[in-house]
Amino acid sequence: MTAAPAAPPALDVRGVTVRFAGLLALDDVSFTVAPGTVHAVIGPNGAGKSTCFNVLSGLYRPTAGTVRLGAAELTRLAPHRIAALGVARTFQNIVTTRGTVADNLMLGRHALSRAGFAATALRLPSAVREQRAHLARAREIAELTGLGAHFDTPVALLPYGDRKRVELARALCLEPRVLLLDEPVAGMNAAERTRTTEVVREIRAELGLSVVLVEHDMGLVMRLADDVTVLDFGRAVAHGTPDEVRRDPEVLRAYLGTGTGTGTAKEGAA
Amino acid sequence: MSDPRSVLRRRAALLPPVLLLCALPFYLDAFWLRIGLFSMAAAVGAVGLGLLSGTAGQLSLGHAFFLAVGAYGYVWLAGEPGPGLPPAVAAVLAVLLAGAAGGLFSPVAGRVKGIYLGVATLALVFLGHHVLLTADSVTGGFNGRSVPPLEVGGFAFADSGPELTVLGVPFGAEERLWYLGLALFALTWFTARGLLRGRPGRALAALSDSETAASVMGVHVARYRSAAFVVSSMYAGLAGVLLALSFRRVVPDYFSLALSVDYLAMIVIGGLGSVAGASAGAVFVTALPLLMTRYADQLPLVATPGSGGGAIGPTEASRYLYGAAIVVILLRAPDGLHGLARRAGARLRRRRRATGPPGTGAAPIPAAGTDPTDPTDPAARAKEHTP
Ligand SMILES: Nc1ncnc2c1ncn2[C@@H]1O[C@H](COP(=O)(O)OP(=O)(O)OP(=O)(O)O)[C@@H](O)[C@H]1O
Ligand SMILES: [Mg+2]
Repeated sequence: MTAAPAAPPALDVRGVTVRFAGLLALDDVSFTVAPGTVHAVIGPNGAGKSTCFNVLSGLYRPTAGTVRLGAAELTRLAPHRIAALGVARTFQNIVTTRGTVADNLMLGRHALSRAGFAATALRLPSAVREQRAHLARAREIAELTGLGAHFDTPVALLPYGDRKRVELARALCLEPRVLLLDEPVAGMNAAERTRTTEVVREIRAELGLSVVLVEHDMGLVMRLADDVTVLDFGRAVAHGTPDEVRRDPEVLRAYLGTGTGTGTAKEGAA
Repeated sequence: MSDPRSVLRRRAALLPPVLLLCALPFYLDAFWLRIGLFSMAAAVGAVGLGLLSGTAGQLSLGHAFFLAVGAYGYVWLAGEPGPGLPPAVAAVLAVLLAGAAGGLFSPVAGRVKGIYLGVATLALVFLGHHVLLTADSVTGGFNGRSVPPLEVGGFAFADSGPELTVLGVPFGAEERLWYLGLALFALTWFTARGLLRGRPGRALAALSDSETAASVMGVHVARYRSAAFVVSSMYAGLAGVLLALSFRRVVPDYFSLALSVDYLAMIVIGGLGSVAGASAGAVFVTALPLLMTRYADQLPLVATPGSGGGAIGPTEASRYLYGAAIVVILLRAPDGLHGLARRAGARLRRRRRATGPPGTGAAPIPAAGTDPTDPTDPAARAKEHTP
């Protein structure tokens, strides 16, 4: 049940273009997420970061270009097939479903479990056993993400920061090889930010997965990311390590208009 | 998601209502038993619709069609003209037939969602009604067909066959069917609650909340939508068989759009997304009009049948009262009878806690399945056996 420690395959984005009724949301974007790294995608509001995630998770079909995970071409697959390959994501605006934290996390176990309608309806021992095993793992993940005390609490009753963490835990329940995090700390206070940063660092060290991170909090990006891709108006304007990107004149222009200065945190007005 | 002790306690809380339901045929006369039987059949169908519309968020106005497939399927399969199969086999096949009919609709059910599916299923009811009227050789046309009684291993769920007396109470068709209905309702309760708490139920609930979230978590959206439709149709088929057996005659006009709407009313009144709620709603919607028609003459302003005059007749009065009751429930308890019962239970527990420790023994837990509308007053009326 524990995640296979084998390194995930590389995630390769090649020439992806997404057009919405005349608006070019992504324009020939390419980047590669090396196995087991944290790859940040940053850029101003409306740059196309979330659109990029929607392509990676199969919700949008690009006008042109491909996304590959190892040998699999994700751009041909439906979202549930991509999930089954071990690609999990969170959403910028929290999208949880009804029920308790446990219910939400168990949804994350969906792709890893088998019980169908007949076996579940008749409560066959196989289905009962499977459910019990996955529930135990979901509880572990809840502990890992600091949600242990809220395991049986309805999600709707939780404060914002906890709900945001439910999404992270739900994605982890997929035992992903690639984890896509869309602004995981947006709207959180300082303590919550630190905590989530720690969790991301831990899971990456323990589970060895690749993380694609969209975040406006530059401090977090600089601390966590191995590589950074900068998007501006749908185009990838810079690639590199956090330090390289911070000094890149293109990036300074995208973020600050023109002029100099340090790349300060820019808050997503989500 | 709960420890074994609380599971045990929940099971124990189920025992008194089950014993009560088993004892009722010894005290109630045929009129009440028939109401109970119709209610149980309706509950089976309502639980099915609840899975589809309450849990998966897929509106269906076609439930009457699948009830008809179950009812007519049984009558044809077990009857003459028809293959004349053993009735028990015919009953099982009728349920599967209803599921298959739901499956045939799956290209639509898998892709079309919410209220659009509601409109699409509307077509099924009209199509079904038309077929029932015109396919005379199978359905008996406008006059319908009489229903062959169910027989299992030589035991007939009807007045025919060897007489049966249990503890001094003669067991006629109503008493026997009561236990059949109870068994099928128990099966429905067991399976539907299993589904809702298991992997498929969670996937369906998630699907109705956010198709996006469900799909990126690995739920095959179209397949689960279709499956919900098939499962719901099978419960409808089972309800159809039970209704046919209770009515002893099936006629096309019963399976109209109004019946579909009644089932929607059941799950809304009972509270969406809960098996107990759907069952309570089914009892409410089924029993109330029957009771009001029967006791209408004791209500003020209602004319006795045949007396004419300006006052409204008992049938209209029962419809008005029924409508008013629905409005009151929806205003007072938007989450239906289930929500009402849950809140009442919570208040009761709080008050008990406030008045001190409960002392010895387990405090009675208000069972989730307790049915606030169950017309039970067994002590008040003597059992009269009318053949
Ligand atoms: N479904 C859609 N239909 C039409 N336009 C869209 C759609 N989704 C996104 N867009 C547009 O594409 C552009 C990129 O949007 P996207 O959400 O990817 O930006 P972002 O980089 O995530 O921004 P933010 O930092 O505000 O989250 C925006 O101009 C947005 O309005
Ligand atoms: Mg975004």
